Amino acid sequence: MAQMTEYTKKKECEVKALPLEEKKRMVREGKAHWFFPHHVAEQVIICGVVLMLLITISTLFPAHLGPKADPFDTPEHIKPEWYFLAAYYVLRLAEYTDFLGAWAPKIMGIVLQGVAVAILILVPFLDRGGPERRPAKRPLAMTLGAIGAALFIVFTILGHYI
Amino acid sequence: MERETLELGPMRIRNRQAIRLFAWLDDRLGIKEIVDDEVFEKIAPAYLGLWSCFGGISFFLFISQVVTGALLLVYYQPTIAEAHASVAAIMNEVPFGWLIRGLHAWGSNLMLIAIMIHMAKIYYAGIYKTPRELNWVAGVSLFLFTLGLSFTGYLLPWTQLAYWATVVGTETPAATPLVGEYIRYLMRGGEEIGQVTLTRFFAIHVMILPIITGLTVGLHLLQIRRQGISGPL
Repeated sequence: MAQMTEYTKKKECEVKALPLEEKKRMVREGKAHWFFPHHVAEQVIICGVVLMLLITISTLFPAHLGPKADPFDTPEHIKPEWYFLAAYYVLRLAEYTDFLGAWAPKIMGIVLQGVAVAILILVPFLDRGGPERRPAKRPLAMTLGAIGAALFIVFTILGHYI
Repeated sequence: MERETLELGPMRIRNRQAIRLFAWLDDRLGIKEIVDDEVFEKIAPAYLGLWSCFGGISFFLFISQVVTGALLLVYYQPTIAEAHASVAAIMNEVPFGWLIRGLHAWGSNLMLIAIMIHMAKIYYAGIYKTPRELNWVAGVSLFLFTLGLSFTGYLLPWTQLAYWATVVGTETPAATPLVGEYIRYLMRGGEEIGQVTLTRFFAIHVMILPIITGLTVGLHLLQIRRQGISGPL
């Protein structure tokens, strides 16, 4: 991996300014690929695979269209889409904070979600681990990240079955 | 006599008309410099693997959502009387309407999955670290915009599920201290969910959020260009 650093220490504008001979050498030595056609072909193939996957799913499992909205008929179970299930479960969890007072459940629900989003946005500023990037050398960041991801997945599943 | 050739990266172009057209464009727009810098003399790192693809996949799915969304717009009616019937018509009568709506509906799900995998990879490999902190912020913003697009788009077919999910979804922020009631009023455009709500969700879904998201995608990619692609672990 050490041989790669020659490329990676450079910003894109610096890589761009390299003499053509230098770029040819890096391609020859396997440190880089030509953007065209190599990289472009890869991207086209990846996009093609994703598109085929999308068309296959859309054909085998056509999009559902439920009955028309009726404001006078409240359904028994109102479930959000899967990506909101974790947030939905947090709202349910917040109901257990009613020992703090009648005000607590609703406010705690929204505050917990707000805090989670704020933490997510501020990750680079909260991580005081310095420039070290290797996961094995960042046990705290890895543990907290794994806990966060696990909570999201578990809450999504619990939100589904609640 | 040797024929004139135009060299573009690995390509040798000998067609005289093509060479003249290229020269004509080059005189006016200076395209030789652009295509050399951005296409034919550009190199990409050799170490990018499968896990590095998901940002690009999210981008591709965003473009796909814009295209399929534009096609759905041709037949969709944003009124509470017509919305459901117009989506039913897209599904049953419009040629390949079922497919376009399927691509759009499934595309939103795949896009969220792709973004989550992309974020997990960026986190795992510590790519958000200096100097890329602001690009992490732009990326999380894109994730939130995508959730906003999913939330607003979900109401548009005006189905029973969508209506009541939106009732709950707009009730939740109402608990925010101080400004909660105003947020709910702003989201619904009134006390109840009705035509005004559908109109504003429509406006947010097809105009406001796509523009904001598109501009942020530009900012996200521009930062990658300024900072370069991060190195391998």
